[in-house]
Amino acid sequence: MKFNIPIGPQHPALKEPISLRMTVEGEVIRDADLRLGYNHRGMEKLAEEKNWTQNIYLVERICGICSHSHATCYVQGVEKLMEIEPPKRGLYIRYLVSELERVHSHLLWLGVAGHEAGFDSFFMYTWRDREVVMDLLEMISGNRVHYAMNTLGGVRRDLDEIQIKKILDGLVVLRQRTEYYFKIGASEPTFVGRLAGVGYLSKEKAIALCACGPTARASGITADVRKDDPQAVYDEVPFDVCTADSCDVLGRTVVRIKELMESYKICEFLLRNLPAGDIAVKAPKKAKPNEVVSRYEAPRGENIHYIRSNGTERPERLKVRAPTLANYPATIEMLKNGFIADIPLIFAAIDPCICCAERTVELVNARSGEETVVRFGDLRKLAGERFAKSPVKRNAVWPF
Amino acid sequence: MKVAVFLPELLRHLFKKPATVDYPFKKLTVPEGFRGTPFLHPDLCIACRACERDCPAEAIVITQESDVEKKFKMVIHNDRCIHCAQCVDSCPTNPVKAMDMDHLYELACFDRHTLKTEWVFTRATPKREPKPVPAAPASDRAGIPAK
Repeated sequence: MKFNIPIGPQHPALKEPISLRMTVEGEVIRDADLRLGYNHRGMEKLAEEKNWTQNIYLVERICGICSHSHATCYVQGVEKLMEIEPPKRGLYIRYLVSELERVHSHLLWLGVAGHEAGFDSFFMYTWRDREVVMDLLEMISGNRVHYAMNTLGGVRRDLDEIQIKKILDGLVVLRQRTEYYFKIGASEPTFVGRLAGVGYLSKEKAIALCACGPTARASGITADVRKDDPQAVYDEVPFDVCTADSCDVLGRTVVRIKELMESYKICEFLLRNLPAGDIAVKAPKKAKPNEVVSRYEAPRGENIHYIRSNGTERPERLKVRAPTLANYPATIEMLKNGFIADIPLIFAAIDPCICCAERTVELVNARSGEETVVRFGDLRKLAGERFAKSPVKRNAVWPF
Repeated sequence: MKVAVFLPELLRHLFKKPATVDYPFKKLTVPEGFRGTPFLHPDLCIACRACERDCPAEAIVITQESDVEKKFKMVIHNDRCIHCAQCVDSCPTNPVKAMDMDHLYELACFDRHTLKTEWVFTRATPKREPKPVPAAPASDRAGIPAK
């Protein structure tokens, strides 16, 4: 007997809230269908009504967690259109904030993964440690979430010696904690057992479905815009692209923890080699008619902004492709042949901000059309019960 | 593989102070560059409308009260304000900016209209020096003390 389960469509934390319609046989998902376009905010149209400066703050509000990613991607593009070159110091500070944002986003994700896997103490400790980096970002920019650090032609705020010292101190704490979490992940059998083998996405499928970010890298693809098409400072900074070959949620966890370590390395490099000088150049009010595609490696994957100017002080077109959108086809593949109880975990693994929303799942009986509403919390409880009963996967290991 | 590797950490935290602050009774101090609510130094404003033009939330409205007296009225709609401080960056007055941000963060209220702040002022005339005062670069944050 087959059932249809619609999930969504309301999901306030996403740029594109989605509706997932799953066909299940017993507990096993056989097929999934995805619908987009709910809660459309019309930001791209609104961007055409605002000037270049105002749009920085508009695109920053596309996402709450990777706000700096969108602003940086946009600013990179507009700087190319306006043919201005930001000073070195400005770029170093801009990408320092980028890496700190990646740290906070990945720590947040680790907590969510722990929460969805039923490891709530892990969630609370990672989120406590995330406060360290949130405080650093607030100190640098004056706000915890929307940093508003970017301006056309550089950044808005400079770093002084005391701030640099504080950031370096904070990084020491964060590095220590991340190493501890890596150790926990490697030696906590329940955590590894819950994540291993869930949401399988083979390397071939990941390439075919254009997965990006940690989702792709966990399937063994070395795709990172920072290495493939280095923006601004990334060709000077030594760092490695982290990959895993296990192709499951465990791999995605490992990739993110390893990326945290790389981000600390990048931050330290940027702070120790911070050049002196100005942090911004004056930007013109108008841009010549032209078009540009700007790429940026956001914490969740490749973020693309297409910007076209027509010689006025407003963009003619702004198109945003957020990384989560690129990962949806791969999510469908991951969900297939998985369990209903794994939906939260698989869905959380692509990091679609699911953490903020307590949602309902509707179970529809395909024959009678009878609908049952299941709260997201109950779904998690179901997952907990299921895995309490199932045998521990003794052979699951943490891939070093 | 061991069992319950997280346990020593959990036990250790039994004897630690909570990581959170008892908020309404104890308050954290905000960092120096915190972006609170914007406000105007009415005696410095030259009514150039740079802040009005660049405000992403269109929260600033400047109107001329009378043609003869050069009297202007600025209204900041704090219910619309997104606290980005772009008005401070855009303000060209030198060396002290007419627009500034304070450190207030408890802004909730029952009626959004009470969040409106307004100033009526006579336009300040910029001092004509031998060298014309250049427009402040976006990075310049005069007005907020550095330390």
